[in-house]
Amino acid sequence: MKVTVVRSGGFAGIERRGEADTATDPVLGELVDRVDLGALRPPAPGADRFMYEIDVGGRTAVVDEAQLSGPLRQLVDRVLSAA
Amino acid sequence: MAVMTICTIVPPHILDEVAARTDDPALRDIARRTAVLSTAQRTERRITPAEPAGPLEDFVPDRTVKDAHNLEQLPGDTVRKEGGAETGDTMADQAYDWLGVAFDFFEAAYRRNSIDGAGLPMISTVHYGRDYDNAFWNGAQMVYGDGDGTLFTAFTGPLDVTGHELTHGLTQHTANLDYYGQSGALNESMSDVFGALIKQYHLGHTADQADWLIGAGLLAPGVNGVALRSMKEPGTAYDDPNLGKDPQPGHMNDYVETYRDNGGVHINSGIPNRAFHLAATAIGGRAWERAGQIWYDTLTGGGLSETIDFAAFAAATVETASRLYGATAAETGAVRTAWNGVGVST
Repeated sequence: MKVTVVRSGGFAGIERRGEADTATDPVLGELVDRVDLGALRPPAPGADRFMYEIDVGGRTAVVDEAQLSGPLRQLVDRVLSAA
Repeated sequence: MAVMTICTIVPPHILDEVAARTDDPALRDIARRTAVLSTAQRTERRITPAEPAGPLEDFVPDRTVKDAHNLEQLPGDTVRKEGGAETGDTMADQAYDWLGVAFDFFEAAYRRNSIDGAGLPMISTVHYGRDYDNAFWNGAQMVYGDGDGTLFTAFTGPLDVTGHELTHGLTQHTANLDYYGQSGALNESMSDVFGALIKQYHLGHTADQADWLIGAGLLAPGVNGVALRSMKEPGTAYDDPNLGKDPQPGHMNDYVETYRDNGGVHINSGIPNRAFHLAATAIGGRAWERAGQIWYDTLTGGGLSETIDFAAFAAATVETASRLYGATAAETGAVRTAWNGVGVST
């Protein structure tokens, strides 16, 4: 299963993109099993937060950084650092 | 080509040094504590146009700097409060000093008492996260990362970054521009405009002396760029293999439709940023005095929809200029011409 993450926003407004596949990354596979894109914290107020567009095998979510926690946070860090 | 030219003229490390060498904020603190205002400051206030005569009292900032110890948890431990001794931590002390400059700017230029106009305590958390390449306003306070050291230096460094984040608070307490699409890009632009004006005020620069850059000194040595944004020439601030190219447009013809970045708030802000630069340089002199006053009164005047678009905001600035200086005044003409210059009809 292909997983992509696009980070946008932040003070700099510079986009970063990462992509990985659970077929070649078993740790990512475990994270995908633990992530629930339907159960997220509410969006944070304020400005200049990083925004994340997450695509897990066709299921997508757009979240700000304050909504990232637990396995979703680990998934995002892992996929972006694979870029 | 434009990018290459700028890069060779002003290398980032030189701008860094300029920012690091100044000790003006400390002097301002001493001046405030002893309640001695220089003649120059009093004059600056007196010549501020069109504001009703404010109280004679000196507004007093209430700053707190906290340390997140490289965790992404807020607010962190308090390391310095208002009037407290220097911590010895460059980033914490820089955050404290820049808050003081930003506070002084809004007081001196517009007789505004802090973020909410009523003396709101200002809180900054430094050392947020590890290698964290960002600064933000979380709805209640400012937050700064140390930068990763390879692409970005510490976000506490440039004065305009602090000015930018503090202005997000001011906008929240006034027009509360919705952080999406054109109103979001205007929200971003207000932060760049007043961030830049705070820096110009601090350096004593007139509109033609100012660099009109946002985040100069923030790019690490070796990165090909001068800053993160250019209000004068949006799209020319950097062009680097690791960062990509500055994506900002400076005209409605190049407006970027995207759902990322809250609908391109950090991208399309280039258009109103350039409009402000055009207005300020056409009017001339100190940009915070007339151009800044027009933008400030428009932002804080209470007449804007939270979802306002560029065209309606532009019309509002023309209205403000007419009210302040007259419908046929040079200032009003300059504002109208500036918006037309970026493809926004007034």
